[in-house]
Amino acid sequence: MRHDHCLHHLSATKQRDLFLIETTKMDGAAIVRIRELKKDSVNFVLENVDLAFANSLRRVVMADIPSIGALCAIFLAWTKLMDVAIDMVEIDANTTVLPDEFIAHRLGMVPLISANCDDAMRYTRDCTCPAGCSICSIWLQLSVTCTDDRTIDVTSDNLEVVPGPFGMSTSMDDAPEELTKRGPYFGHPVSKHEPGAQPVLLCKIRKGQELKLRCVARKGIAKEHAKWSPCSAVSFEYDPHNKLRHTTHWFEVDERAEWPLGPNAEEEEAPREDQPFDFNAKPNKFYMEVETDGSLGAQEVIMKGLAELQTKLANLILGIKPDLDMIAGGDGQAAGAWGTDGGNWNASETAAGGAWGAATAQDATSPAWANTAPPFGGGSGSRGAASPGRVAWSTSPAGGGGGGGWGGAQTGWGSPNRETNGWAT
Amino acid sequence: MNAINRHELFVLDEGENPVEVTEDTKIPNAATIRIAKQDHTLGNMVRAQLLSMPSVLFAGYKVPHPLQPYFIIKVQTDGTVTPQFALETACNDLIKMVGDLEGKFKREFAFKDADGATGSNATGGPTAGGDDPYGGGGWSEGKDYLDF
Repeated sequence: MRHDHCLHHLSATKQRDLFLIETTKMDGAAIVRIRELKKDSVNFVLENVDLAFANSLRRVVMADIPSIGALCAIFLAWTKLMDVAIDMVEIDANTTVLPDEFIAHRLGMVPLISANCDDAMRYTRDCTCPAGCSICSIWLQLSVTCTDDRTIDVTSDNLEVVPGPFGMSTSMDDAPEELTKRGPYFGHPVSKHEPGAQPVLLCKIRKGQELKLRCVARKGIAKEHAKWSPCSAVSFEYDPHNKLRHTTHWFEVDERAEWPLGPNAEEEEAPREDQPFDFNAKPNKFYMEVETDGSLGAQEVIMKGLAELQTKLANLILGIKPDLDMIAGGDGQAAGAWGTDGGNWNASETAAGGAWGAATAQDATSPAWANTAPPFGGGSGSRGAASPGRVAWSTSPAGGGGGGGWGGAQTGWGSPNRETNGWAT
Repeated sequence: MNAINRHELFVLDEGENPVEVTEDTKIPNAATIRIAKQDHTLGNMVRAQLLSMPSVLFAGYKVPHPLQPYFIIKVQTDGTVTPQFALETACNDLIKMVGDLEGKFKREFAFKDADGATGSNATGGPTAGGDDPYGGGGWSEGKDYLDF
């Protein structure tokens, strides 16, 4: 806004100079301003970042954050259960008007409370159990029979979390770690514990009809299926006046009248009638709103999204330097921190099952970043712009542990099986 | 019917290299880097960051086929650094920036929570304050966003 303000009074060359000054400023710190924060949505303005970056943030919160999506439309007989590792619904009795598939699909869409789920739950593919245990799956049961003369709504509130048939299964050894990180309502339908909330209607049944089923909820990300997206909507806008002409407004008579300005237009100064087109201008201010389905809070979605971005970047760096050593002290200088010698990635892999974070957490001889830095940088005071020398990596362990990586939900980056995580060299 | 399994979009195959660098034989200081199991989210962000570096002459990325879960990024530098190093620096810068942003978001969230106490109970986070997965060092109230 300040930028536009100045432009109005300056010649074209001055404008360019000013633009360059502004661009150098742009390299400076990003600005975040939260305009509105509600229980399940956050509206914020992001400034001084690149369009590509802002878009990556949008993409990552939409598609890369793990949550517990329930129940999927796969029908299997009980005997076949052990063969599969996908979410499923077993229908014991369905005398409703809706076919099984229909109901299973509806069940899949029910948002389940998944706060902290990347620490509190494992991906089934990373779990050591054969086909689902209490660490990697949550069992829900629904049993409704109508004996009244009126129609009954079967809703997501009828779903009850029950212990699974496998009990603690084979993963008994580390069960406490994940399970202790779960909140009291972990895996429950979102509306169930919220007074006044409308539950999800699954089916309506009349007298004599019955719906009885059991289903499994598993952790996943929305790239696999949209039911795992914690976001119901993400809005993203920049340049409300279309000063950058990234879009063309089709109009019949009057562009202004036919394309009314949105509320974000008040954040920026409208271009003057005779203002020349600044073809060097870049978008710099982004208006975003992230609305979740309730499975995760808006705040958690944003923080996990940022952590996930870091994970992606960190994995890329790891990939460029396959023989990367593990001794990356928290006090090292940005890139240099990786360059010092010491046990390399392959060597220290033996420390703890090959998982990065695990290795660093358990092996005192590699004083790695997982320990030296407070995960997530310990908040605003201790990091970021104020500490340019601070190694960027200090932020990543949380990225791995928090974001869950793609490998697994355990302590670090990896899954128990390093090979499945793909970082084997 | 030609699409791969959805989970193969983001889980590396056994023995698959996450990153493969092919140096260009005809153009000096240029390399093509293939990054497996990643998409525009990473590619575009890294490309933009590379372009902002003075030592980078060219940076571009593409996802060659929508059904194949990888992208390639081409980088040419002016010779002062190798393309790999440029890419690494770009990633480091981005990580720093994301870290910075995390701090700022945290502060903003803390302010907003102080204002309206809008935190969610419904998400049922762990109630134990000590069980803070994010360190929580910067939170003067000693609260974590999962604790509301």
